[in-house]
Amino acid sequence: MGETSMRMRFILLTILLLQTAVLRVYAQGRGAPPGPPPTPKTAARIDITGYWVSLVTEDWRYRQFTPPKGDYESVPISPAGKRIADAWDPAKDEAAGEQCKAYGAAGLMRMPTRLHITWQDDNTLKVEADTGTQTRLFRFGNPQGAGGDWQGISAALWDYPRPEVFTGFGGIDFGFVPPPPPGGSLKVVTTKMKPGYLRKNGVPYSARTTLTEYFDRFDVPGGDSILLVTSEVVDPEYLSQPMWTTTHFKKENDGSGWKPTSCVAR
Amino acid sequence: MKGAMKMKYKLSFFFAVLMIGTVLYGQGRGPAAFNIDLTGMWTPPLHEDALERGNGPELADYGGFALNEAGRLWALSYNPSRLTLRNHQCDAYVLPYQMRAVGNFRIWEERDPNNQRLIAIHMWAQTTEGRRTVWMDGRPHPPAWAPHTYKGFSTGRFVGNQLVITTTHLKQGWLRRNGSPESDQATVVEFLVRHGDHLADTTVVTDPVFLTEPEIRSNDYVRQEGDHGAWLYACDDGEEVLGRPPDAVPNYLFGKQPFAREYSKMYNLPFVASLSGAESMYPGFGAKVRNSTDADGEAKLKPTPNAPSETSKAVDPETRDGEIHVLRVRDNVYVLVGDGGNIVVQTGDEGAFVVDSGEGKLSDKVIAAVRQLTPRPIQFIANTSVHAEHVGGNAKLAAAGSDLSLPGSFFDLQSPTAATGLFNDPATHATMIAHNNVSARLGDAKAPAAMVPGDTFLEERRRKFHNGEVIEMFYEPNAVTDGDSIVHFRKSDVIAAGDVFTTTQYPFIDLKNGGSVQGEIKALNHILSLIGYEHQGEGGTYVVPGHGYLSDEHEVTEYRDMVVIVRDRIQDMINGGATLQQVKAARPTADYDTRYGANGGPWTTEMFIEAVYTSLKQGK
Repeated sequence: MGETSMRMRFILLTILLLQTAVLRVYAQGRGAPPGPPPTPKTAARIDITGYWVSLVTEDWRYRQFTPPKGDYESVPISPAGKRIADAWDPAKDEAAGEQCKAYGAAGLMRMPTRLHITWQDDNTLKVEADTGTQTRLFRFGNPQGAGGDWQGISAALWDYPRPEVFTGFGGIDFGFVPPPPPGGSLKVVTTKMKPGYLRKNGVPYSARTTLTEYFDRFDVPGGDSILLVTSEVVDPEYLSQPMWTTTHFKKENDGSGWKPTSCVAR
Repeated sequence: MKGAMKMKYKLSFFFAVLMIGTVLYGQGRGPAAFNIDLTGMWTPPLHEDALERGNGPELADYGGFALNEAGRLWALSYNPSRLTLRNHQCDAYVLPYQMRAVGNFRIWEERDPNNQRLIAIHMWAQTTEGRRTVWMDGRPHPPAWAPHTYKGFSTGRFVGNQLVITTTHLKQGWLRRNGSPESDQATVVEFLVRHGDHLADTTVVTDPVFLTEPEIRSNDYVRQEGDHGAWLYACDDGEEVLGRPPDAVPNYLFGKQPFAREYSKMYNLPFVASLSGAESMYPGFGAKVRNSTDADGEAKLKPTPNAPSETSKAVDPETRDGEIHVLRVRDNVYVLVGDGGNIVVQTGDEGAFVVDSGEGKLSDKVIAAVRQLTPRPIQFIANTSVHAEHVGGNAKLAAAGSDLSLPGSFFDLQSPTAATGLFNDPATHATMIAHNNVSARLGDAKAPAAMVPGDTFLEERRRKFHNGEVIEMFYEPNAVTDGDSIVHFRKSDVIAAGDVFTTTQYPFIDLKNGGSVQGEIKALNHILSLIGYEHQGEGGTYVVPGHGYLSDEHEVTEYRDMVVIVRDRIQDMINGGATLQQVKAARPTADYDTRYGANGGPWTTEMFIEAVYTSLKQGK
């Protein structure tokens, strides 16, 4: 091996090391001092707190009014689900003190309602609905609990776009993941709900239901701010396939429209 | 030495790789650099409004729409049989409804092969063969006088994990398939987000003509593994109802929608509920209308009598900035916007053929603009009407031009500068062509001779072969006036419609100059008979209106429908013995006033109603 070749290898190695060092510093926030990891509240990349009002522009008849028994159009309901829906008896629900069956997590966001979203603590988003006076808690991390109530247990995480520009350059892993661009979604998975209704007319979901929701905030240039809740309801008992809906809310300036009401079964 | 060279190559390669990596990394940090992959086949799961989107909506179901009075009345007047008309059979869905409709679609990217930058995102929808382009290269939206399409003109940008799309230049269409209208003035902002194999598209429709507040809906789609192989084919219109009079447009008169109650009865809803506009979208609405009466619903079926007339909320496509703006229509045909009425210019090996000369306030700039388009002089000026904004520039434009066919001819010898002075349009001027009534009425008005067309015709049509194509000038008797013409450039397939068709106002039916409502309808139908569309009822023959934006079959059809529908309402009232004051009080144009209405200026809504009333009373 000649002297020239050795010198070239040395230069190559130096460039590689320098590049690596620069990128690591870059990836670490340009040399910011290390500190405690951010809480979900401080790590929030979108702000969904505040008052929001639902805009009932879809499934209007089913949401603004209680549809007749047996009207489960649009719902991918299973034969077992149909049997339950066809036997809907609101008087029975009232007698059993179960007027809130349509106000559980899988049905609540489709109700005409206002939401008040706040941080209960650094780790928990609180979502209150004035219709039926319900509260959902979105806990980050791995929330535990028996559940069994209308709102179940909701596990939340920030879902960011993950550009993988540098992790695979023709199969070469450089080991750097650049920080995500601004924006993102809130992903919430809810389980352990008490069986309830997807619609007020008794279209059911079971205790085995898993509700996955994505919360996105859109800001119309010069216009409204919109909260979009994309929901996937998976119920092996009463649905024949996952049920997808998108429900949208408009930001309100204050709580002047907030009117808590009781659950109504019919 | 050989080893050293090899190492140099290796070094160069690694250096290049690292530099590229660094550049990419830097780009990746930009706030809008993350390109969400939306490509592939998508299908809506239809877990919302499946019946409405699939089989079809009920008539008079406008619940959840922020329709204003005009929007609600337009929808109530809509008779689905209108779709049997040849000119409506291939209507495509406008953008917001296309995204809501049943049917699959696919998305693909168009990238610059040289640098891989994203130029556009394309979408193809199964229903109505909806094709859509979202420009991602930062290009501006077209001017207000550019054509409108069913999918509009869309530009997009990535914001975080969202694709944000802004769309303008839409055609008139539906928010829902039961006639709930969306106007050609609507704009749409969309937000697309992808969560795994699920895509959500939130549409925000702002429509000053038919909505009181933005209509927001969210649609969702599930990614498909492959092509479903069930694409449809292009629409071809046919004969659906034989023997129908050419001036028939199916519609329901105000207050006479026979199915208005059907929806509320079928689902046991308060009658007024689905007719309530924006308030029907908000919580508490159900309780609010629970105790409403049938009379509350009845009141929504007609215009509020004697209410103040609404005025147009449309963007004015006429620039009024003291400049002449040039838009290429097709081939060598252009439209010049800015001097009152639209001016059409056809160029080629011969002199320019100009249709109408504008108001004459900016004639020097018009002449300069024509000179930019062709080195040849203006050879012909065709006037579509006697109205000032069509003949105002005649004298100046003609003087700046020259009829190249005349020098050295017999006619040259007859020019005013020659001994006989028999002809107004000498070789040193452009030749002005119009129906004889234009010249006669200009003469009656003692207009300067230099602006009076000397080459006139009396009946049916005038033909020319000029600049490589046949140009036909058709007489449209007693439409806006008794001297109207339209000009058809046959090879370019462009029609200059004059004031028979505008996108800015109710037709200026000028009774004292021989206009009539029936003549206007006949003229619009004649234009439609000359038109062919390219795809799904749009493109193909372009129509340059006397005022307004470049149009095609769809705009002319909607305009024709409007004139026919207003005529039908006023005729119905006349048949019932109504006086002009009673007709005006009933507001027979209430659903069109936010688009075409005016309470001031040279042509108001009242003048239009009076012209239609008087014309019909005279049997014209």
